[in-house]
Amino acid sequence: MARVIKQRPMNWIERLYIFECLRGLFTTLKHAARGLFRYETLPTISYPEGQPEIRHTYRAKHRLMLRPDGTPRCVACGMCAAACPAHCIFIEATQSDDPRIEKRVMRFDIDHLTCVFCGLCAEACPVDALRMDTKKIVFEHRTREEFVAHMSDLMDWDPKDYPEDAQSQMAPGGTKNKQALETWGMEVK
Amino acid sequence: MSNFYNMPKLPTENSPKVEIFVDDKAVMVPGDTNLLEALKAVGIETPHVCYHPYLPVSGNCRQCLVEQEGPRGRMLVIACYTPVTPGMKIFTPASSARVKNARKATQEFMLVNHPLDCPICDKAGECTLQENYMEAGQNESRMRPEYGKNYHGNPDHQFIDAKGQVRGGKHVDLGPRVLLDEERCVQCDRCVRFMRSIAKSEQLQLAGRADHTYITTFPGEKLDHEYDLCVTDVCPVGAMTAKYFRFQKRVWLLSHTPTISMDDSLGANIWLDHADGRIYRVMPRCNPEVNRSWLSNTSRLAFQGFNKNRLPAMGFNVIKSAMGEGKVAVVMGGACTIEDMAAARMLKDSMGDKVELFGGSLLKVSEPDGIAKSGDPCANRAGLKLMGFADVSELLKRAGEFKVLLTVNADLFGEDAAAAKALEAIPSRIAFSAFNDETAKKATLAFGIKHWSEVQGTMVNNLNILQKLNACPVCPDAELRPAYDVISELAGKKFESASAAFKKAGEYASVLAGLSYDTIKSTGKLLEGGEA
Repeated sequence: MARVIKQRPMNWIERLYIFECLRGLFTTLKHAARGLFRYETLPTISYPEGQPEIRHTYRAKHRLMLRPDGTPRCVACGMCAAACPAHCIFIEATQSDDPRIEKRVMRFDIDHLTCVFCGLCAEACPVDALRMDTKKIVFEHRTREEFVAHMSDLMDWDPKDYPEDAQSQMAPGGTKNKQALETWGMEVK
Repeated sequence: MSNFYNMPKLPTENSPKVEIFVDDKAVMVPGDTNLLEALKAVGIETPHVCYHPYLPVSGNCRQCLVEQEGPRGRMLVIACYTPVTPGMKIFTPASSARVKNARKATQEFMLVNHPLDCPICDKAGECTLQENYMEAGQNESRMRPEYGKNYHGNPDHQFIDAKGQVRGGKHVDLGPRVLLDEERCVQCDRCVRFMRSIAKSEQLQLAGRADHTYITTFPGEKLDHEYDLCVTDVCPVGAMTAKYFRFQKRVWLLSHTPTISMDDSLGANIWLDHADGRIYRVMPRCNPEVNRSWLSNTSRLAFQGFNKNRLPAMGFNVIKSAMGEGKVAVVMGGACTIEDMAAARMLKDSMGDKVELFGGSLLKVSEPDGIAKSGDPCANRAGLKLMGFADVSELLKRAGEFKVLLTVNADLFGEDAAAAKALEAIPSRIAFSAFNDETAKKATLAFGIKHWSEVQGTMVNNLNILQKLNACPVCPDAELRPAYDVISELAGKKFESASAAFKKAGEYASVLAGLSYDTIKSTGKLLEGGEA
C-alpha cells in the first residue's frame, strides 16, 4: 500500500533560497573540515586504501572445500549449475580413481563476470563442497577470460583464514587434518 | 520366477471394452489386459518398478498395489498381474487410504538400503524410484544414524567408506559396455528377464537370497550381447549404467529429438538426446509395432561417428557443370529419405531420359533377429521401391552406358569394393555424402550434405510403415544442406521445406498423396497395402 507523506510547505525564509543555500554550503564545509582534522570519525571509508570489514556470511568469491587428502569434495552432480540463475557454472565430470568415490570433478569453472552472487549454488550443494565465504569481493583482471575462476583457483585457500570452521580445518594444512586423514584412510577392500 | 507365458497382454485399439468400477465410478477399460494397463488406458497411472510392458510379469516389487473387492472383502492385489474382469471393483489411492499406506510402506522398504546417490547417479531425473518417492513416498527416513544404510550383497565387493559405513559393489564390470552398481539395485530382475526372454541369452542372474540378493553373471562370463545396452534402459534405477554415457551429462540437460534410426530397414524409433550441439546418447523410442522398447547396440552407438570424418560443404556451380555431359546414373543410398527421392525424381523430370535412378546398397541382407533389427542395412528400401527406383545391381551390369555417376548417401565403394569396381568405368563420379567415405574419396567431386540425424524427412520401413525423421540441431557445419535441398536446386526448382518435398513425393507415389507431416503419428503411419 502506498504511503502518502505530506510535505510541510516552505515558509518565506526558505522560499528566499539564499539562506537555505548557505546552510547547505555550511554542511559541506563541516564535512570537509572533519575530513581534514577528525578523519577517523567519518562514516565512509576511503575505499582503495581502507577496506571494508566483511563477515564470513557475506556472499563473496566461491571456494571449493577439500577432502582431507586435498581433492575437492565436489562430486560433479551439477546441482549448483542447475540452481544457478545466471548459468555461470560449468562442470564436467569423470570417473574417480579412488574406489570409494564414484564421480569426481574434472572441470569446475565459475564465470565471475556473469555470476550474480545470489548464493543459490552454495545452498544447492549436497556435499557442502561450494562455499562463498572467502571475503574476496574485488575482482580485477585484464581480460575477460581471467574472470573465469578455474578449479585450481577455487581450491587455492588457506585453512588458517577460517580458524572457526571445523570443516575447513580438515583440509590439508588445517588443525584437524591429521585426525581426519586417519578416518579418511580407512581400510579399503 | 517369471517365464514367457507371463508376458503381459497389452491393450490394442481392437480390445473389447468392459465396465469396471474404479473408486466406485464406472469406467470402460480394455478387457483383455492387466489392471495396470487398463487403468493407464483411462488415465490412472500406477507406480511400478518391476513391471515392464514388453517383459514377462514378475510381480516382485509390490509397488502397484490396488484394492480389489473380492468374496472375502477388500484385498490388496498387484495391478500388474491381475487380469481385468467385467464388473470388478478397484480402489486406488484416490479413495483408499490402505492402498496409499501400502504403497508408501513398499516404497520406504525399497529405499531402506538404497544409497543416497542421486547427485552422482546417471539415472537421476528419469529414475522410477525418484518418481515413486515423489508420488507415493515422501516419508522421513526412519533409519537412525547408528544403523545407517548397509550393503548386504556380494561379500567380495564390500568396503567401508570414509564415514565408516558398509558400502559395496559400486562399479562392478559386467562386460564391455555395462557397469553394475550393486548397491543401487532394487532386485526388480527386469534385466534378468530381458536377457532371458528378449535377448534369449541368460547372461544375468540373481544370486543370493532375500536381503543378500545381487545381480551377477556366471563365474568367468561377461555380459556381452548385441542388445546388452537395453538392460540400462529397462533398469528402473541407476544400477545398470552404460559405460559410454557414464558421467557424461545430467539427463535433465538433454533435449530429445524423436527420429528414426536409418541403418536398418526396420527403422527403429529412437530419441536423439542432445545438448550443446552434440548427441550424447541414443535411446529407443517405444513403438509397439516396430522396435517396442529395444534398440541394438549398433544402432545405439552409431551416433559416436555422426560428427566425425564429415565432408565440408562445397560450391554448387561445379556440380552443375559436371552434370552436363552424357547419361547420368543417380544412386540413392538406404539412408535417403522420401524427400531426397522426390528431389531425384524431379531431377529426372527436368533432365529427361538422360537421367536414370537407382537405389539400394551393396551390403548383404541378413536374417531378422526378431528384436529390433530386420537385418537389411538399406533402411529405406521400401521407400525406394515405392518411388520407383531400380536396384543398384542393375547399374553394376550397365555401368558402361553412363558418363556421370551421382551417389547420394550411397557408399558403394565402401560397402563392396569388388562389386563397385565396375563403376570406376564411369568417368565423372559425384558423391553427395555426409561422410568422407570410400565413395567420396574415389569420387571426382565430393559434396558434403547433412546426415540423416540432422534432416527432416520420412522413410518407409520393411513393415510398410511410413515413419517421420526429425532434425536434431547438431549439424557441425551451418553450410551443410540436406540432400533434397541440393538435388532440387540441381533440378532447377528448389524445395522450400521438407514438407514441400514430401508433398511433391505424393505426385510420384500415389499412396503418399494426401498425406502430410501432421497426419503421420509419432509411431508412424501404416501405408495402404501393408501387412503389418
